[in-house]
Amino acid sequence: MRGRDYLGEFEHIVILALLHLKNRAYGVTVRQEIERRTQREVSIGAVYATLDRLETKGYVKSQRSEPTPERGGRSKRFFRVTSKGQAALSRTHQTLRKMTAGLRLAWRES
Amino acid sequence: MTSRPNLNSPPRSAEWLVSLFANTEDEILGDLSEEFSLLASQSGNAFARKWYWRQTLKSLPHLVFSVFHESPWLTTVAVAAGFLLRRLVARLPEFATFALVDKFHIFEHHFSVYKFLASTAIDIEHALTFLLVGCVVGLLAKKREMAAAIALAMIFGAMAVLGSVSYVIRGGDYTSLWRLSWYFTDALAVVVGGVIVRTARLKAADRIPSIS
Repeated sequence: MRGRDYLGEFEHIVILALLHLKNRAYGVTVRQEIERRTQREVSIGAVYATLDRLETKGYVKSQRSEPTPERGGRSKRFFRVTSKGQAALSRTHQTLRKMTAGLRLAWRES
Repeated sequence: MTSRPNLNSPPRSAEWLVSLFANTEDEILGDLSEEFSLLASQSGNAFARKWYWRQTLKSLPHLVFSVFHESPWLTTVAVAAGFLLRRLVARLPEFATFALVDKFHIFEHHFSVYKFLASTAIDIEHALTFLLVGCVVGLLAKKREMAAAIALAMIFGAMAVLGSVSYVIRGGDYTSLWRLSWYFTDALAVVVGGVIVRTARLKAADRIPSIS
């Protein structure tokens, strides 16, 4: 069995947000996308802590843009999911499917 | 003429707090600034400022813990070095004070001064040595000054609480618990040392938001 390379709950959510946003994924859009879909307030610190962790694991890559005046002369950091990140996502989904197979979950939508 | 805070810009002290803890370039401050402008135009400045503060306070624990995850060894070495340095300089305030007392015969000639030097002055000197320790930890921890200083302060704080509780249980002397306020001041001094080094580094890199 390989090492623990499944995604944690928030890592999972952040990677899915990056996939939804495609090439528009940076701190603001990722945070807003998660808030919009989960209906819970998310801090920018939590988003960056998770993105940095995912980047250390090789699951995402980041690139800085040119600084802009509306951001006080600060740059944006865009993120994208790597093939290693997509493999981790797929593995996590497969595991969840296997674990939920055969269960009659009360919350399951028809 | 007094300067008034610019209500159209994010709260400066919140920006300063984020810059102390963020281990990234400027993207977090840029993101917060962008969302602040949007919220201020949609819902007003008061709402946007409250949002900014909420985001700042909710972000800080994540920013501190992410440093431990990124550089566990460097942070641990800095904390351990701070702990050892503290042990090394622990007795210096007493030595220095009593050397002064002996040299100038303070006990014999100025008893009230002696009382001050032997009690409050030593406590203040201890706080200053903790401040020095915090600065050294900040220097060793490179860009992770705040996480290392906070970790060390928490260790000292926990030791003070455990030591005091154990002393009270053994001796039954609850009045000694007031000493905890000095011990917490020492722990706070370590954090202030980290803040000083971090602020100096940000100033050197011209990345510090001005607090006005």
